[in-house]
Amino acid sequence: MEKVPRQIVAFGGGGFSMESGNPLLDDYVLGLCRRRRPRVCFLPSASGDADHYVVRFYRAFPAERCEASHISLFRREQGPGDLRRHLLEQDLIYVGGGSVVSLLGVWRAHGVDAILREAWRAGVVLCGLSAGSLCWFAEAVSGFHGAPRRVEGLGLLPHSNCVHYEPGSAHCLAYRDLLRAGMRPGFGAGDGAALHFVGNELSRVVASRPQARGYRLELRAGEVVETPLATTFLGDGAGHGGGMAGGTATAVAA
Amino acid sequence: MTVPRILTLGGHEFSSRPPDRAVCELLLRLASERAGGRPRICLLPTASGDTSEQIASFYAAFGERPCEPSDLSLFRLGRRPMALRDHLLEQDLVYVGGGSLLNLLAVWEAHELESILSLAWREGIVLAGQSAGAMCWFEAGITTSSGRPAPGAGLGLLGGSLCVHYNDEPERRTAYLDAVGAGMPAGYGLDDYAGLLWEGEAPPSAFTARRGARAYRVASNGDGVLESPLPARFLPAPAPATLREDIAEFRRITAMRKRAGWLG
Repeated sequence: MEKVPRQIVAFGGGGFSMESGNPLLDDYVLGLCRRRRPRVCFLPSASGDADHYVVRFYRAFPAERCEASHISLFRREQGPGDLRRHLLEQDLIYVGGGSVVSLLGVWRAHGVDAILREAWRAGVVLCGLSAGSLCWFAEAVSGFHGAPRRVEGLGLLPHSNCVHYEPGSAHCLAYRDLLRAGMRPGFGAGDGAALHFVGNELSRVVASRPQARGYRLELRAGEVVETPLATTFLGDGAGHGGGMAGGTATAVAA
Repeated sequence: MTVPRILTLGGHEFSSRPPDRAVCELLLRLASERAGGRPRICLLPTASGDTSEQIASFYAAFGERPCEPSDLSLFRLGRRPMALRDHLLEQDLVYVGGGSLLNLLAVWEAHELESILSLAWREGIVLAGQSAGAMCWFEAGITTSSGRPAPGAGLGLLGGSLCVHYNDEPERRTAYLDAVGAGMPAGYGLDDYAGLLWEGEAPPSAFTARRGARAYRVASNGDGVLESPLPARFLPAPAPATLREDIAEFRRITAMRKRAGWLG
């Protein structure tokens, strides 16, 4: 039996939720699917399954491009009865933004956390932005209410994550504090940047905006070191194929 | 007033229809009794996923009444950060809206709200709610959170169980009777517009805001499950005209105070 790669694309921010008229990140994740008309399921749980968000998803993922569906965990009497079966049938599971704390609570209540782990192992591509990015990591910086704080995610990726990352921002400073306090090393992704993991390892960083970047953050001799990562802008016809030079995340500047 | 109080309702909306006005009047009265003055009333719309509809209807019902309404939306805190504990413990009444019981409790647990609500209750802050927002205070309820009506656990501040929308949703009632027969703790069935007010350790007092709506005690007696209607007080709806007068008076006072510089 062919071994399928486990893939997660974690957006710092972007896609249809944040970049109306810029489909580059959404096109990128659709392009990772093997089927020509992939099955894509949207999980808007982090927003409380907001109706307007679901509508925007269907507009961004129309029937001619994919077979789109969504699961509302607040309205289980509608939608697929067998969550596991439905999610395992997908090519791509797309998780929306909102509160990562609420998201994880609702997923646990419905057993979706375990199903997503299974789907990932089975080769279903997982992606999402903001809360929908933080959720895949072992540890994350949630700045959703009050002061940014440490949150434990599903732990599919054994790293930490900070979204909407801009060097010098409040989020960035909070992440640095948490790293100094013992948070495991990981990645920051700016709005428009997406971290593409194959297995546990970062394979490449792609972006929907020319200036968007991903960053590696780690503690070296007690100091937080932020390393900008080579990031491929998807807008100049770059798109698919190839990883980073040498196949690993490479620093472009320090 | 420091007697712990919980108001549980089988189902209602925040509309301007008479039975809904009667329920709002009761909520306002309970909150005012604790406050002494202008009460603070906070909506927790968690069970709905913090829908705009639920939040808007709450403000439509209380926005122009003599109270300070607020909402605490756990899915929307990003837009309006709030100290959860401080805000909740400042209230006179916390109202929990309907939706998914399972999600309600899961999200509360994730945000560590149970202990705050339990403390609020012990401090005499009135806890109230309808549907999932009523069942959550009991040990158990019958929820459609996973599709079909099925037993689900609550916080257990109140002993026993509750089934809401009792005669309004026959499938839910049947599931409840089966569950109590199979060992779920005995409890109550509440039709839409029927409610129970729990004060301290005393047995609850039943009321209805719509003719024909009833509250039932539901318990297993060994042979089967018995359903006994409870005597209930009827809550008349306040006349809309009186409401308008209240609003007009409140606005006059607020305007006067503002002119005099007493407020903001």
